[in-house]
Amino acid sequence: MISPQPSKTFSVLVVDDEPSLRKVIRASLAASGFAVEEAGTGKDAVAAIRQRPFDIVLLDVNMPGISGVEACRQIRALAPRAGIVMVTVRDAEEDKVRALEAGADDYVTKPFRFRELVARLGAVLRRTHTVRDAEADVLQAGDLKLELERHLLSKRGEPVRLSPKEFDLLAYLMKNQGAPMTHVKLLRAVWGPEYGGELEYLRSYVRMLRKKIEDDPARPQYILTEAWVGYRFRNPSDPDQPVNQEEQ
Amino acid sequence: MLRFDPQEARRAAQCSAAGILGLALLTLIAFRLHLNFAAASSCYLLLVILLSLSGDMFSSALVSVAAVGCLDYYFVEPVLSFRIEKSVNVLALASFLVTGLIIARLVAKVRAKAATSQVHHERLQQLYELAQKLLALQPDVAVGKDFLELFIGVFGIEAACLYDAVGGELQFAGHPRALLEEKTGEAFARGKDRDDPVNRIHARCIRIAGSVTGAIGFEGLDDPQTAGPLGALGAAHLERTHSFRKASRAAASAHTESYRSAILDALAHEFKTPLSTILTAAGALREAGTLGPHHREMAETVESEAARLSRLTMRLIRTARLEQEEVRPWMELMDLASVIEETVEPYARMSAERSICVVKECNSSDVQADPELIRLLVGQLLDNACKYSTPGSPVTLRVSRQGDQLALRVFSSGNPIDASEKPKIFDRFYRGAGGQRRAPGSGLGLFVARKIALAHGGRLELEDDDPADGTVFCLSLPVPEPERRSERNDIATAV
Repeated sequence: MISPQPSKTFSVLVVDDEPSLRKVIRASLAASGFAVEEAGTGKDAVAAIRQRPFDIVLLDVNMPGISGVEACRQIRALAPRAGIVMVTVRDAEEDKVRALEAGADDYVTKPFRFRELVARLGAVLRRTHTVRDAEADVLQAGDLKLELERHLLSKRGEPVRLSPKEFDLLAYLMKNQGAPMTHVKLLRAVWGPEYGGELEYLRSYVRMLRKKIEDDPARPQYILTEAWVGYRFRNPSDPDQPVNQEEQ
Repeated sequence: MLRFDPQEARRAAQCSAAGILGLALLTLIAFRLHLNFAAASSCYLLLVILLSLSGDMFSSALVSVAAVGCLDYYFVEPVLSFRIEKSVNVLALASFLVTGLIIARLVAKVRAKAATSQVHHERLQQLYELAQKLLALQPDVAVGKDFLELFIGVFGIEAACLYDAVGGELQFAGHPRALLEEKTGEAFARGKDRDDPVNRIHARCIRIAGSVTGAIGFEGLDDPQTAGPLGALGAAHLERTHSFRKASRAAASAHTESYRSAILDALAHEFKTPLSTILTAAGALREAGTLGPHHREMAETVESEAARLSRLTMRLIRTARLEQEEVRPWMELMDLASVIEETVEPYARMSAERSICVVKECNSSDVQADPELIRLLVGQLLDNACKYSTPGSPVTLRVSRQGDQLALRVFSSGNPIDASEKPKIFDRFYRGAGGQRRAPGSGLGLFVARKIALAHGGRLELEDDDPADGTVFCLSLPVPEPERRSERNDIATAV
């Protein structure tokens, strides 16, 4: 199931103040082939990261002592290559945004299902462990083919005309496919560091991009909305596609 | 009003006797001293004045007349005879009589006034005392015996009765006769004060803001004029009690509200972690691959039921949050029919005995809306349809286009909503008469569902022309204006 590099056993640090959830996650992930360690607080987690490297950290956002977001920031500083998945609750979109800004790679929302958790961990591991060809000139996802050098997008072999900003936005999303991108991050990456609050602006671009690349813009398959957080590019051929929790 | 009062008559007789005795004594002394007419008449006048000050008008007048007789007999020539020879003496006697009578009249008037003012003063004192005692009563004490006892204690009446139409209470204090209740009831029913001087019963209507809200009756009250102020005091206290009750209810409801949101916050936080634990454990068990088919089925049941519980909990929390907060939809282009189908799916799975079908009667059902909120809204309508319709009867959801609106109609059969309930079903915490008996619920669902519809610029209504044996809810959302081609260029130039 999780096989970016099938021979490797991935190490996971589970950080949660709830012992029973920690225990169950530990047992379940161990049964799925992970090497699991636990930490009950953010402080312990940071200490554990100092001791030895982990491939991925599952970090609860709500913990006594140093908060999950702060722990995430410290872990990111200590281990730039480790994957970090935050555990958040619904209706706490600000936490999600803060966690992503603090360096988290993704999040799962409580209450989550085991398969969703494994899928998220797998997707993050895939992104952090796949040696990406930084110079890759062609990005592909489903029916889409984006040629960076030639500034061309084709869908099922047919060229699609994009404005320069639409192209940049799509290219950025595709480069980070599978990962949630906050509005601020997208605006700054595509339009420049002085941007950040122009939500409507970004939404119009996403609307127009969807019209051009989606078969049915009202049922998007590529650019998914993460309400109040941002967008996520979904590659239909990716085995660990994001699962919509509402439809469980 | 002239009334025969034996006590007053006795007092008049006593004063008259004392006056006559004084007159006889004075006559004896004056006659022995050989006083002349002028000196004697002055002494008599003094006696009449003294008598007027302490006695009443009748005895003063009587003594005046007797004094004229004595003057005539003993001091007017010829002495020891009632005969008067000089006309000047007639005049003198007449003027003495008139003066005596006038003095008696004036003094009696002044005395009567003083007595009345004394009564008024006492009555005011009593009313003041009563008002003070009423104010000191705890307003949360129900208007009842304690309240009425005050009237009896202060005014010394025999009994009091209060009918409070707002609270629907009838209260008594003292030793009432059946007549008191009857008169008080009559006063309320007719909206008119009732007086029965023979039985000394006086009932007054209690009016608050112009409308009759009760009546108060007093038995053994001598002065009917006091009944008015007493009734007014009673009304003021009643109004104060009602206001206090209203305020208490408002405070209690605010308290409940904050308690409820505290519970919800706790729920939101406390339920999610254990649910995650169960879901993870069950999911991992199922996927372990070491279970036999029966155990696997059990693990699947645990997982799907925990997922259902989590869905229900989250929906409850979201509904309660939306009830209190402003609904802020995250609008995007979405296909209403697909969102409805996604929402229906778990319901259809759960209620296999009932057919739930979605019918799309238009080509495009695209709307600008928040998919998550629309799922919540449709879920609520489905929930209602399943809860309140005949078990096993079909539920149909039809999506159609009506001008510039996209309409979703949810048809369910059985248990039509009573006409009297229709205007209220979207009210907060309203639960239909049938609902309270049959189906569990918070009374928030439809209120929040309508709030969501309004936040989208749409409407949620109960259709009037619904089939006689069923219910139709209609959600309408505005169809987005066709996006203009130029929009893209505008923005592209703006960058």
